[in-house]
Amino acid sequence: MFRTLSRRTLTGVAALAATGLVLTGCGGGGGEPAALDTEEQITLNYTFWGNDDRAARYDEAIAAFEEKFPNITINDTFTDYPSYWEKRQTEAAGGGLPDVMQFDYTYLRQYGDNGLLLNLEDYFGNGITTDAIDESLLSTGKLEDGTFAIPTGYSAWSVFQNPALLAEAGVEPYEGGTSWDDYDAYMASVTEATGGKVYGGTDTTQRIQDFELKLRQQGRELFTEDGELNFTQEELAAHWQEGQENRDKVTVPQSKLEEINPVSGFGGNLTTSEMSWSNFLGGYLGDSGAEEITIVAPPTDNPDEKDLYRKVGLMQAASASTEHPEAAAAFVDFLINSPEVGGIFGATLGIPASETQLEGANLEGPDKAVKDYLDSISDRVGDAPAAPVAGFGAIEQTFWDLGKSIGLGSVTPDDAAKQFFDEASVTLGS
Amino acid sequence: MTTDSAHAPATARTAESGARPARSRRTGTRPRRSRNRDTVAGYVFLSPWLLGFIGLTLGPMLVSLYLAFTDYNLFTAPEWTGLENIRRMAEDEKFWGSVRITLIYVLVGTPIKLAAALGVAMLLNYKARGTGFFRSAFYAPSLIGASVSIAIVWRAMFSTDGPVDGTLNLFGINLGGWIGNPSLIMPMMILLAIWQFGAPMVIFLAGLKGVPAELYEAASVDGAKAWRKFLSVTVPMLSPVIFFNLLLEMINAFQVFASAYIIGSGTGGPGGATNFYTVYLYTRAFANNQMGYASAMAWVLLLAVGVLAFILFRTSRSWVHYAGDSK
Repeated sequence: MFRTLSRRTLTGVAALAATGLVLTGCGGGGGEPAALDTEEQITLNYTFWGNDDRAARYDEAIAAFEEKFPNITINDTFTDYPSYWEKRQTEAAGGGLPDVMQFDYTYLRQYGDNGLLLNLEDYFGNGITTDAIDESLLSTGKLEDGTFAIPTGYSAWSVFQNPALLAEAGVEPYEGGTSWDDYDAYMASVTEATGGKVYGGTDTTQRIQDFELKLRQQGRELFTEDGELNFTQEELAAHWQEGQENRDKVTVPQSKLEEINPVSGFGGNLTTSEMSWSNFLGGYLGDSGAEEITIVAPPTDNPDEKDLYRKVGLMQAASASTEHPEAAAAFVDFLINSPEVGGIFGATLGIPASETQLEGANLEGPDKAVKDYLDSISDRVGDAPAAPVAGFGAIEQTFWDLGKSIGLGSVTPDDAAKQFFDEASVTLGS
Repeated sequence: MTTDSAHAPATARTAESGARPARSRRTGTRPRRSRNRDTVAGYVFLSPWLLGFIGLTLGPMLVSLYLAFTDYNLFTAPEWTGLENIRRMAEDEKFWGSVRITLIYVLVGTPIKLAAALGVAMLLNYKARGTGFFRSAFYAPSLIGASVSIAIVWRAMFSTDGPVDGTLNLFGINLGGWIGNPSLIMPMMILLAIWQFGAPMVIFLAGLKGVPAELYEAASVDGAKAWRKFLSVTVPMLSPVIFFNLLLEMINAFQVFASAYIIGSGTGGPGGATNFYTVYLYTRAFANNQMGYASAMAWVLLLAVGVLAFILFRTSRSWVHYAGDSK
């Protein structure tokens, strides 16, 4: 048959194959009967990101809510974090966001400023109780036009250590809160003691939080009040350059980290320490299988500077287009304040922001360790930065990708800083 | 066919005219009404495909063509920016990086894959015991190769102290893991592509079956050795099939996505070495919310592949031999 294959057939096949190249996307919408009435049967759509463990906890919480409000049914779905936002973004474009959503601080401005979220302030004292929530935490959900999300809890930047690996290496743990030189010396002694089998830590210049910490230790912030970058290209290049000595000799090679991604070096038992958000403790315990993980304060050369802050991560928000705003507000209130929900989730959504929920959570074990850590650093905790600029999620990821590329030696700190500024100007400009 | 047939039941007529198209064309006496009704029936049968094409392919394509000239972040209405996206692309280092690695992947991977496919097809063309089994065995990878699970398995195979690293260590080659190494990940991606040579192999095999045995006999009589026969008989006779495979494989290679996305953890890692064109396009669209830029990228890719296909068609005149051509 192929000997007689004609040019025309071939052209047709080629045209078809080429047509298939263009990617297409689509969005979906949904709706329910209108008007809120206590007698009326209401169904709310709820969605969250997380794993099976979190899903089981939500199932319990939803059952408790449905028992309290027999006329409301919660229809829940979940997925992992990256695809969660891909889905939300197509829904946002198509006008079909779920009634209530687990939300992230990073995306607050993007959604809130574009009128996609319900202004929860309209229900304060009238469906949503805010008395038990610390004002500084509650205000994180505030934008110019109202409050669009309420944090479930908070965490802070911290140093995690694995005592079992340290004992094997025969190195004393880092005590926390001392100078950067101390921490560097600690990391170097671990890598030396094990002969490179286990490393002392991960590049401490790689992530935007590392840079933010250094800036805050000089009394500065990542962004100006107008949402512009608050540092120069040269300063960023110098920051990345600073980590070069550690990258060469001390910290875990980036190529090894690429292999175990998405597990981190610390989670994969390649390092004895790692800096991250305090609510990662549970995840680290799961990833590494370690019996115990300790948590201490990050190093600082300026102990008087209030460099740390209570970081709000997970939030609950409702869609502006929900047909049952009162029911949605009631569900948000339940998820934020109910002691019962506190008991179900513990500190897995951060240390609960609401006092009533915190009491119900009855923290113990690792959750208690995180709470104790957060209490212990209160002297170093300052005001949280303003709500992340629209597009911060992309900027954060770009920073991290470039940091990794520097670690692999495929880009120099100078070039990386230039690329970061090029990219940020596009993201912030649009 | 005569005018009487216009009164016959529609189904019977359609079947009959389908079975004997040659005659009706030759006589040319079919009434216009009958032909029109056939045309309508044809479109009715085509409609599921046509509706799908218009609604799911053509419509979105036209929208994306519009978006390619806009700044669109999914949240606010698209804003017309003219050729701004193209200008940005020209200055975007990551874009050119993705173009470079995609071209390497296509230009290195496709010829090797086709050579492997042709080589194995020629081996399988010998009449020997068990060819049926081997044919299936060699074809299997191309059925499962694009799947997520295979990409995950390859990730594990090529990591530090994985099977590949371990085997190479036995021979004193210490490369370490391939997955985290920006310079070894491309060879691995190309290997993964070559391994899926089953589909072009089957097509080559079909082509080989069609090469007349008497040509080889004649060549043998003239004293041609195996290599000469390959160059002077097999290749020219197979050239339409080679051309067909080359075109399809090239277009497929440009679209590599799933394996690159999994192996590079969706971020084009390590160090941008798996940031293939489609991965970058996806990142721009769904991680950075730059739908306009991503649409422009999609159209640039479409045009680039179109131009390359056109060039291939042009050059094919000088090396593809069609039976019946006057060449």
